[in-house]
Amino acid sequence: MPQYLLLLSHEDPTNFSDLSPEEVQKIVEEYKSWRGKIQADGTYVGSNKLRDESGKSLLKPNGQLRITDGPFVEAKEVIGGYFLVSAADYDQAVKIAEGCPHLNYGGRIELREVENVG
Amino acid sequence: MSFAHSPSVDESVDHLFRRHAGRMVSVLTRIFGFEKLDLIEDAVQDALVTALRKWPYTGMPDNPTAWLIQVSKNRVLDHLRANKKFQTTEEDLETVSNAIAADAGEVYFSNEVSEDQLRMIFACCHPVISPDSQVALTLKTVCGFNIPEIARAFLSTDYSIAKLISRAKQRLRLHGVRLGMPLPGELKERLESVLKVLYLMFNEGYTASAGDELIRKDLCFEAIRLCESLAKHPVTMSPEVHALATLFLAQAARFSTRCDNTGELLLLSEQDRSLWDEQMMDRAMQHFRLSASGETLSDYHLEAEIAVCHTFAKNYAATDWHNILECYDALQKRRFSPVVELNRIVVLAEIEGAEKGLIELENFRQNYDLNGSYLLDLTEAHFLSETGAHAQAAESYTKALNITENRSIRRFLEKKINELKASFAS
Repeated sequence: MPQYLLLLSHEDPTNFSDLSPEEVQKIVEEYKSWRGKIQADGTYVGSNKLRDESGKSLLKPNGQLRITDGPFVEAKEVIGGYFLVSAADYDQAVKIAEGCPHLNYGGRIELREVENVG
Repeated sequence: MSFAHSPSVDESVDHLFRRHAGRMVSVLTRIFGFEKLDLIEDAVQDALVTALRKWPYTGMPDNPTAWLIQVSKNRVLDHLRANKKFQTTEEDLETVSNAIAADAGEVYFSNEVSEDQLRMIFACCHPVISPDSQVALTLKTVCGFNIPEIARAFLSTDYSIAKLISRAKQRLRLHGVRLGMPLPGELKERLESVLKVLYLMFNEGYTASAGDELIRKDLCFEAIRLCESLAKHPVTMSPEVHALATLFLAQAARFSTRCDNTGELLLLSEQDRSLWDEQMMDRAMQHFRLSASGETLSDYHLEAEIAVCHTFAKNYAATDWHNILECYDALQKRRFSPVVELNRIVVLAEIEGAEKGLIELENFRQNYDLNGSYLLDLTEAHFLSETGAHAQAAESYTKALNITENRSIRRFLEKKINELKASFAS
C-alpha cells in the first residue's frame, strides 16, 4: 500500500494564544478523534511535531559548505509537523487529509506520495 | 512528582483545560502573590497552547493533567528566572515545585475546587471591588473562562470586560489583598459577598436571556460546583451555603425542559417533569435538609424553599401554592422588591384566581415601576387569558412584545398571540 506524507503548515504559530482553555480543549479533542479514527482503520503510520525553530539550511556551492539559519523559503509559513499515512491512492489520501482539524484553523496541508522503491 | 497513585483519568474529562487553568492560576498566585497574577495567567495559557500544538502529533499523554501541571510549572519558572524584576531565588522555585506537587496529589483529579481556589474565590469576591467585577474576576481566575467567553455570557464587549477585570486586579493590588481564608471575625461578611457572587453568576446563566446558551449553562454549573465546595469545606459550610446550593440545584434540575426541541420557551405548567434531572434533585434535597440545621433564616432559604416546592411537586396542579406564597410574603417582609412582588401576585392568582390577580396587578401598577420591563404586560396578558378575555390578552402580549428585544422571549410572546388569535377567530 502506498504511503503519503501530510505536511502541516500554518502562517502564525502563535495564533492560538487568544483561545480560551475550553476552546483549546475542543480543538485538542477534534484532533484526538481524527487521530483515533485513522489509527483504528489502520491508515496511520506515524507522526511527529517539528520544533518551533527555523532550523538550518545547508548548501555546497562551489564545493564549499554553507550553513544558514532557516527559513528555507521566503514563505511566512512554518511547518508544524507531519503525518505519514497509508492509502490506496491520492483520492483516498485526500479523504484522510481532509478530515484533519488542521484545515479548520487556517492551516495548510501539503500531500505527497512516498516513492515506492522496488 | 509521582502520579502513580492517582486514579486513572478519563482523557476527555469535561472542561479539563478550564479546570486546570483555574487550579494552576490559584496555586501559583498563592505562592507568588497577586502582583504576579498576569504573568501566571500567561504562563498557564502558554502551557495549554503548547499542549494544543504538540498533542495532535504525539497523541494525548497517558495522564494529560500531570503533563499540563508539569508544563505550566516549567513555564512559570522560566518566566520568573528570566524576569529579574521578581528576584526569584532557587529556594522560591523549589517552593513552587513542592506546592504544585502537593496540590496535584490532593484534589487535582476530582471535580472539587482546591483549597487554593477557595482562597482565590475570597480574594476575587473582596468587597473593595464591585459585584460585577467580583463575578467577572472569579470566572476569569478561579473558573478558567477567558474574556470573550465572559463577554458572551454577559452580553458585553471584550473591551469592557477586559477593562473591568484589569481595574479590579489593580484595586485588589492597591488594597494589598492577599490570598487567604478570611479570619474568623470577618468570615460571615466575606462569605456573604462570595455567596452573592455565586447567586449573580447562577442567575446570569439561568435567566432566559439573549446571551450564548452554552456558555450560560456553564456559568450555572460553575456556580453549583463552587457552592457545593463551600458547603463541604469545614470553614465555610453553613446553613446559608446549603440553602444556596439547594436553590441552584432545584432550578438546574429543570434545565433541559425549559425549552422544547425547537428552542421555544416552555412554561412550568407545560414542562415534562419526568425529564427533570433526578440526580440534581437528590442533591438539592440533601442540601435542603442540611440548610435547616441552624437558627438562621436567610433570603436564600426562602428562595430555596420556593424552588423546592416547584421542582418536587408531582405535577403543576399539585404545586403547594400556599407554601410558596408564605415564602414570598416572608421575603417581601425582609427586603421588599417589585420583581418579587410580581411573582407573589402570580402565586396569589394561582390560589385565588386570575380576577384577584388582575386587581392586585392594577394596584401594583399604581405603586411600582419595573423600568419598562415586559414582565408586567406579560403577567397581565396571562391573567386576562385565564379569565377568557382573549382579545385583551392578545393586546397585552403585544405590548410586552413591543418592549423586549430578547429573541426567545419574543418568539414565546408571538406564539401566545397567535394561539389567542386562533381562539377568537374560530
